[in-house]
Amino acid sequence: MLFSEVYGTYYNVLAELLSKAVEGDLTQETMFRIVRQKGFEESVLTIPEALKNQTWPLITKDCTTPLEHKPTMPLTTLQKRWLKALLNDPRIRLFDPPMEGLEDVEPLYPPDTFVYFDRYNDGDPFEDPEYIRHFRCILSAIHHKRWLRLQFTGNKGTTHCWKCIPYKLEYSAKDDKFRLISANSRSTLSINLGRVKACFLLEPYADEDYRPKPMKKRILVLELTDDRNALERVMLHFSHLDKETQRIDGNRYKITLYYEQEDETELLIRVLSFGPVLKVVFPDDFVKKLCERLEKQKRMRTQD
Amino acid sequence: MAYSELIKNFDRIRDYMRQFYVYGFKCRTEYDKKSARSYDNERRRVESWLGDFMRFRQSPDGKNVFLSVDSRSIPANPLYNAFKAKSFTAGDVTFHFYILDLLHNGEDYTAQEILNLFCGKYLCHFESDWQPDISTIRKKLKEYVSLGILRAEKRGRELYYSRAADSIDLQAWADTIAFFSEENPLGVVGSTLLDKLKTQPDYYQHKHHYMLHALDSQILLQLLTAIGEKKAVQITHINQRKTGSPVVHTVCPLKIFISSQGGRQYLLCYHYRFRKMMFFRLDYIQKVESGADERNYAKYEGFYRKFLTHLWGTSTGIEYNVDHLEMTLHFDDNEQHIPQRLEREKRNGRVEIIDQNTVRYIVDVYDASETLPWLRTFIGRIEKLECSDEHVVKKFYDDLAQMYTLYGGEE
Repeated sequence: MLFSEVYGTYYNVLAELLSKAVEGDLTQETMFRIVRQKGFEESVLTIPEALKNQTWPLITKDCTTPLEHKPTMPLTTLQKRWLKALLNDPRIRLFDPPMEGLEDVEPLYPPDTFVYFDRYNDGDPFEDPEYIRHFRCILSAIHHKRWLRLQFTGNKGTTHCWKCIPYKLEYSAKDDKFRLISANSRSTLSINLGRVKACFLLEPYADEDYRPKPMKKRILVLELTDDRNALERVMLHFSHLDKETQRIDGNRYKITLYYEQEDETELLIRVLSFGPVLKVVFPDDFVKKLCERLEKQKRMRTQD
Repeated sequence: MAYSELIKNFDRIRDYMRQFYVYGFKCRTEYDKKSARSYDNERRRVESWLGDFMRFRQSPDGKNVFLSVDSRSIPANPLYNAFKAKSFTAGDVTFHFYILDLLHNGEDYTAQEILNLFCGKYLCHFESDWQPDISTIRKKLKEYVSLGILRAEKRGRELYYSRAADSIDLQAWADTIAFFSEENPLGVVGSTLLDKLKTQPDYYQHKHHYMLHALDSQILLQLLTAIGEKKAVQITHINQRKTGSPVVHTVCPLKIFISSQGGRQYLLCYHYRFRKMMFFRLDYIQKVESGADERNYAKYEGFYRKFLTHLWGTSTGIEYNVDHLEMTLHFDDNEQHIPQRLEREKRNGRVEIIDQNTVRYIVDVYDASETLPWLRTFIGRIEKLECSDEHVVKKFYDDLAQMYTLYGGEE
C-alpha cells in the first residue's frame, strides 16, 4: 500500500518534533518553526493544536514526551523491494550502493518491465568502466566542493580542456544521457558526459566562487486548435515546461511556453510534429525559422 | 465534515490535480464532476501541498487555478506530496510512535503485553481517559506486519511482535535514491526514503522530465506487483475518447510502456476476451484488482517479443496488419547530423544511405499513421514519402498544405 500515513508528511513532522522532545530541546517556538518548515502550508493550523489539546497524546504540556528514543521506523517491504529493483537498472553501476540488508528481498518488478519506446538509441554507456570513473569523479567533486579539470571532445571533434566548478548533473530520459552543468568565472558550460575523455579533481573551491549563471528563458506563444484530441496531446507533451494556457474561443487556445535558448531547435521540431493544430505566433524569429523549413519542403515536394 | 488538508481517498484528488496540471485554463464552474464546495476543498488542499507551484489568473469567466513548473529547475517532483497526505486517526498516530518506541531495542512482546505497556508506560502521562482495546491493537500490529515494519513470530499459542530487521545504510544510498526518485517510474517510493535523510542531494537536474505520472503510482504499483507475481488482473478503464464510462477488462499484464517524449504510460497486456495484445493508458485506469495466477505467462511473453518487432508506439493498427513505409530525405553537405538523427531516433526498421546527400528510412509497422508526428520533424528535407497505407501519405501532405496556409504561404 503506497497511500499510507506511515509515509506521510504529518508522521515525518511529528517524528522530528518528538526527536526534539526526546533531546529535551522542544519549545512552542521550535514546534511552530518545524511544522512551518517541514509540513504543508496549513499544517501549522492542525499539528500544534492536536498536540496541545492532546487529541494526539504524544507531547505533554511542558513539551516533553514519554518516548524513550528518537523515533525511527524500519524500512517497509515496499521500500526495500523498490531499492532491490534498482539494482537491475544499468545506471546503478554509476552509484554502486551497498547491497547489505537486501540479500533476501525480492525486487519489486522483474528487469525489463519498463519499455521506453521512444527513447533515443544512442544513450550513454552506463556500464563502461571509463564512463563510470568520470561520473564518480564528477560526483565526488560536487560532494567535496572541488574544482574539476575536464578534457572532452567538442561537437566538431576537437579536444577541449576546461577548468570548472561542477554545478549540476543533468539527466534526460529522452536522450538517456547525462550532462554536467559547470561554471567558471568566465562562463557556464554544459558538457555531455559521454564526450568526457579525462576528469581530474582539483583544489577545493570557496562558496563565494560558486556563481553559475542562470539560464535565459525565452517566450514562445502558440495558438492551438483542439482538433483530434490536440489539446490534451499538446498540453501533456509540453507539461514539463513552465506554461500558461488561455481559451481564446470555442476550440482555440493560446499557450505561452517558457524555454531555454539552447533548446530552440528541438522545440521547433517538436512544434512541427503537431502539424497544423499548432501555430507559432511569437516570437517572429521562431516563426521565420519554421516558415523557412516549410518553404524548403515546398520546393522539395515530389509527391507521386 | 470539517475541512482537513489530509485526505482519505486518493481518487478524487488524482483527477483534480491532473486537470490543474495539464490544462490550467478552467475556472471553478467548469469542474463539473463535483459540487463547487468540493472544488473549493480540493483546490485548497492542492494549494496547501504545492503552494509554491500553484498559479492564478483572472479571466472573464472567473479565476483560473493552475499548476505550472519547469521540471528542469526543481530537484524533486512536487506531485509526490499528494501521496503524503493520507489522513489517520488519533489512535493510528499514537500507536505508531509508541509501538515503535516500545520495540526499539529489539524487544518482542505479545499484543496483550503491548497494550499493557502502551497504557502503563505512555498514555499514563496524559489526562485523556482514552484507552484502546486489544482488538484495535491486534489490527494495527497486523497492518504493520503486512507493511514489513514489524515481524510476528509464533511461540506456543502466542504471537510475539518485534521490529523488522533493517540494516540498510540509507545515507550510503542517498545519491542513488535522489536520482531514481525522479527517474524511476515508481519514484514516489524513493521520495519517501529521501524524507528519512537529514539532507537531500540537490545536484541532479532532470530535462524532458514528465511528472504527471506520479499521480498514477498506486495503479502502477498494483500492476507491477501482478507482473512480478505473474498474475492476471481486472482493470477498470475509462475510454475517454468513446463513452467515458468505466469498463472492466480481464488481462494478463506484461510490460509498462513509457513515452519519454510525451510522459504517457501504458500497460501492455494480453486481453483474454479479445485474444490479443492491447495497450491501456495508466491515467485512464481507475482500479486494478489482482486475479488468478497465470500459468501461460511465458507464452504471452513470447507473443510480446514477436509483437515488438513491428511496433512504433502503442498502436496495434487493425488486426496486426503491417504497413510498409519509406521516407527519403535529402540533406545538405553541412547536415550530416540528419542520417545520425535517423539512426538515433528510429524504432525498428533500417536506414539506407543512398548517396552523399540522400538517406532513406524503411520500416514495417502495425500502424504507420503513428509515425506522422515524427515524420513531420523532418519537414524541409523530405524528398519522398511512400506508404502501403495511402491515407498516411495523403494525411501528411494534406496537413502540410494546411500548414502552408496557416503561415500565409500558398498551397
